Amino acid sequence: MTQSSERATNDYAHLDPVLAELAGLDADDPRRTELRDRLVTEFLPVAQHIARRFGQRGEPHDDLVQVATVGLISAIDRFDPTRGSDFLSFAVPTIMGEVRRHFRDTSWSVRVPRRLKELHLAITGATNELSQHLGRAPTPSELATHLGITKDEVYEGLEASNAYRSSSLDELLVGTDKSVSLGDALGDDDPELMGVENREALQPLLQQLPERERTIILLRFFGNLTQTQIADRIGISQMHVSRLLARTLVDLRKGLLSE
Amino acid sequence: MGEVDVDGTEVTVSEHEPSTTTSDKPAPGADVEVRIAASPAHLSVVRAVAADLAMRADFTLDAISDLKMAVDEACSELISRSVPDGDLVCRFSVEGEQIHFAAEAATTTVVPPSRESFGWRVLTALTDSVNTWVVPGPGGGHVLRFDLVKKRADDVVGL
Repeated sequence: MTQSSERATNDYAHLDPVLAELAGLDADDPRRTELRDRLVTEFLPVAQHIARRFGQRGEPHDDLVQVATVGLISAIDRFDPTRGSDFLSFAVPTIMGEVRRHFRDTSWSVRVPRRLKELHLAITGATNELSQHLGRAPTPSELATHLGITKDEVYEGLEASNAYRSSSLDELLVGTDKSVSLGDALGDDDPELMGVENREALQPLLQQLPERERTIILLRFFGNLTQTQIADRIGISQMHVSRLLARTLVDLRKGLLSE
Repeated sequence: MGEVDVDGTEVTVSEHEPSTTTSDKPAPGADVEVRIAASPAHLSVVRAVAADLAMRADFTLDAISDLKMAVDEACSELISRSVPDGDLVCRFSVEGEQIHFAAEAATTTVVPPSRESFGWRVLTALTDSVNTWVVPGPGGGHVLRFDLVKKRADDVVGL
């Protein structure tokens, strides 16, 4: 690793002035975008290299490159040349951290055959597509017809989905997009909670939840949106909403019981 | 007793025994009955049965997931109020466009779960109809029942 970093440092030395320039610009300087884009493009081989190192672990290579690129972008945004370290010794751990987080957040919790992984991916994609078209979540038979597979195969794929922690890389990317403010989905005061008798116990538990989980709970149980509508609003898959809801409900129930 | 949901669907809510159900017999046409020790450790079995029946009855993915969570919620409530070493009995019936779930456990209290609780809010949001009530049990005890209905698809307005 040390060796390749040193070699890479030489390869990318010409970008040091660009990094310094970017770091010196004001947050709203229009030139930021241009410099940032150039840096992302030029450093992309570093992200690709790291993605390759994490290959062969059952995640699609393209997904890994995207995740590594997210890490690269965050490294470019956070890098401070005045601290004296060179960019790569800062960026490489940042990118690797992002990829590791991806494996932790979005991997199969048990070993699942490749065929079922592909089935799961196909079903996730078809679910998103059909939901847009139908205005509601599809049924297994609609998924089967759409994908040209048997209902039994859909059943298998849906069961396999239970072993997956997250459904798609898009969710990760949306999750890092600061422009999506989940807090906007509902007001801060949660007037919907009025009328729930144990709200004094519930309120702090809800406040402790990650913002996304809290928003999903409020939209589902106090806003009466369906999971598909929530998925659409937040930009994650229905299956992911389903998983987050179920998990959060269990946590809330435990919290309320321990009161 | 009916409440109109935000999405316009009628959710039946009751604390009282519905007159149409024969309280001391399994739900008519019960397809599947599951009896477990009233312990959270076995909840996953009931959840899995709920999800599998709904999937094979061609429920929408939303409805499958809703039923699974509603069953989880109702059973958790029953387990938390169960007498020590009690059983939890769950019955599922697939009735055309809907699944009827009934569950019961011997409890120590005569008071059914509150309609104002968060758990009740969760149940009404997830199902098309939900009831809970207490009946006299064997040996002077009490049996708490949950009865819920989930339809195959939500009537979705304005996605």
